[in-house]
Amino acid sequence: MSFITQIFTLAVFAIFVNNFVLSKFLGLCPYIGVSKKIDSAVGMGMAVIFVMTMASTFTWLIQEYLLIPYELEYLQTIAFILTIASLVQLVEMVIQKTAPSLYKALGVFLPLITTNCAVLGVSILNIQEDFNFLGAILNGLFSGLGFTLVLVLMAGLRERLEKSEVPEAMKGMPIAFVIAGCMALAFLGFSGLNF
Amino acid sequence: MNLWKEFTKGFIKENPVFIMALGLCPTLAVTSSVKNAIGMGLAATFVLTCSNMIISLIKNLIPDKIRIPCFIIVIASFVTIVDLVMNAYTPEIHKNLGLFIPLIVVNCIILGRAEAFASKNKLLPSLLDGLGMGLGFTLALVLIGSIREILGAGLWLGKEVMPDAYIENPMLVAILAPGAFIIMGLLMGLIKLVNKGK
Amino acid sequence: MNYFIKLGLVLLLITVIASGILAYVNGITADKIKANKVLAEQEARKKVLSAASRFEKHTKSLPAVKKEPNPLKNVEVTGDRQFVYYLGYDKDDQLAGYTFVASLYGYSSEVKTMVGVDLDMSISKIKVIEQAETPGLGANAATADFQNRFLGMDQEQLKVDKDGGAIKSLTGATITSRAVTNSIAEGMKNLKDAVNGEDK
Repeated sequence: MSFITQIFTLAVFAIFVNNFVLSKFLGLCPYIGVSKKIDSAVGMGMAVIFVMTMASTFTWLIQEYLLIPYELEYLQTIAFILTIASLVQLVEMVIQKTAPSLYKALGVFLPLITTNCAVLGVSILNIQEDFNFLGAILNGLFSGLGFTLVLVLMAGLRERLEKSEVPEAMKGMPIAFVIAGCMALAFLGFSGLNF
Repeated sequence: MNLWKEFTKGFIKENPVFIMALGLCPTLAVTSSVKNAIGMGLAATFVLTCSNMIISLIKNLIPDKIRIPCFIIVIASFVTIVDLVMNAYTPEIHKNLGLFIPLIVVNCIILGRAEAFASKNKLLPSLLDGLGMGLGFTLALVLIGSIREILGAGLWLGKEVMPDAYIENPMLVAILAPGAFIIMGLLMGLIKLVNKGK
Repeated sequence: MNYFIKLGLVLLLITVIASGILAYVNGITADKIKANKVLAEQEARKKVLSAASRFEKHTKSLPAVKKEPNPLKNVEVTGDRQFVYYLGYDKDDQLAGYTFVASLYGYSSEVKTMVGVDLDMSISKIKVIEQAETPGLGANAATADFQNRFLGMDQEQLKVDKDGGAIKSLTGATITSRAVTNSIAEGMKNLKDAVNGEDK
C-alpha cells in the first residue's frame, strides 16, 4: 500500500503545501488575468492541467533520452520551451477541431499557456527533484490541479467582489492581488504538513 | 522617432510591471531581498536588450508563420547564456534566483517586446526599447524588494536600516508569499491613485 | 510542400546556430561551475575548523538500513550507506580535527550542517549550509546566535533542552532545533566509530 501512500503524499504536497501559485509564484499571469469568471477559469484550468501533464511527460523523456546521454544539459531551456510551444500549438489545433465553443471561449489565452511559467516550471522541477517517469507525470498532473483549484477559488471570490464596493483605485488587479495574498496566508498553514 | 522617448517610456509611463502587468511571476518571487531583485532585473535586462537587437536584425529573414518559435529560440539562447555565466561567476545570486533564471524565457515582457516592437523596428530603437523596458522592470523590482526587505527584515541590501528593536521582531509576512501579494496589490492601487490624480 | 520545407529549414538553421553558440559558452563556463561547488564546500570546512588548512576525505560504511523505495523518484535504494568525513591538517601537517556534514529533515526542508570537531571530540564550530525552514523561526538556525550554542559541546550534551540536553532550542522552532541537534549527535557517533576504527 506504500505506493498509494506515496501518490497521496505527492498529491497533497503538489496541490496544497507547494501550491504552484500561492507558494511557488508560478502561473501568476493567467491567475490574475483569467480569474474573473468561474467558467473561463475552469476551462483554462483544464487546458493547463492537460498541457502540464503532457509537458511533464515529453520534457522528462527528452531530458532522459536526449540531453543526458549526449551531455547536452545546457540545452535544457531551449529544448523544453520548444517542446512546450509545439505542444500548445497541437492542443490549440485539436481543440479548434473538436470543441470550437471552448476554443472561442478561451480565445487568446490558449496560446498564452506557452508563456505560463507553471508549465516550464514543472518541467524543470521534475528534473531537479529527481522524479522518475511516473513521478514526473503525476507531479505535472497534481501541480496542474493545484493551479486550477486556486484559479477557480479566485474566480469565485472575484465574481462575488463584483457586487461589493471596492475603492476606485483598488478595482481590478490591485484588489485581486490582495485577495491572493489572503489565500496565500491560508495556504501557508499547510507548510509544516508532514506524513 | 524620438529615441529618448523610446528609452524612457519603460520607466514610468509604460512600466512593464505596474502599468502593463507583465512579468509578474519573477516580480513576486525574487523581491524578498533587494540584492536578488537587482540580480534578476539586470539578468532580464540583458536578455531583453540582446534578444531585441538580434530579432531586429533578423526580422526580415524570418517567415511570418514561424516567427514566434524563432523569437523563442533567440530568447532561450540568451537566457541559457545568462544562466551559465551567472552560475560560473555569481554563484550565490544564481542559487538565490534558482528556478527563475531559466523562467526568464517565459517572461511575457521579453516575448511581448519582441513581438510588439523589435520585429517592426530598426536596430537602435529596438536596443533602446529593450534597455528601457528592462531598466523599468529592474526599477519596479527594486522598489518592491526595498519595501519587502525593509519591512520584513529591517535590512536594505543586507545593511540594517531599522532600529534594533524592529530587527528583532520584523513584519515577517512581508518576506513570505502572502506579504508579496498584498504589498504588490497595495502598490498597484497606490500607483493607480496617483495616475488618476494627474 | 516547398513552403513547409523552407519553414522547417529556417527553424533548423536558427536552432543549429543557437546550439553552437551555447555549446561554446558552455565550454567556457563548465569548469568554473564545477570548481565553484568544490570551493564552496572547502570554504565551509575551513569556517568550522579554522586551524586546518588541508582536508583529506575519508569514508566509513554504515550498517545497511532498509529504506523504503519511493516509487516516484529516482533515488537509489542500495543497502550500503556511507559516512563521509574529512580529516583536517594544519600548516605543519599535524592533525587538527575533523569535519562532517549532518543532515536531517526539519520542519519543511532538509537541514544540512557542516560540523567541525576538535581532537578531543568536542565541537569546534558549526555552520548550517542548507535549509529552507520558515523565515524568522526555523531559518534562524542559520544565525550565529543559534550556532554558537554548540561551541565546545560533546556527545552527551548534544540534545535540545526539552530532551534533557544542553542545547537551548530556538523559540517557536523546536522541530528545526531538534533536527540540527540530533543530526549532529548522530554524526558525532559515526565519527567516533570511524576514528576509533582506524588506528591512527
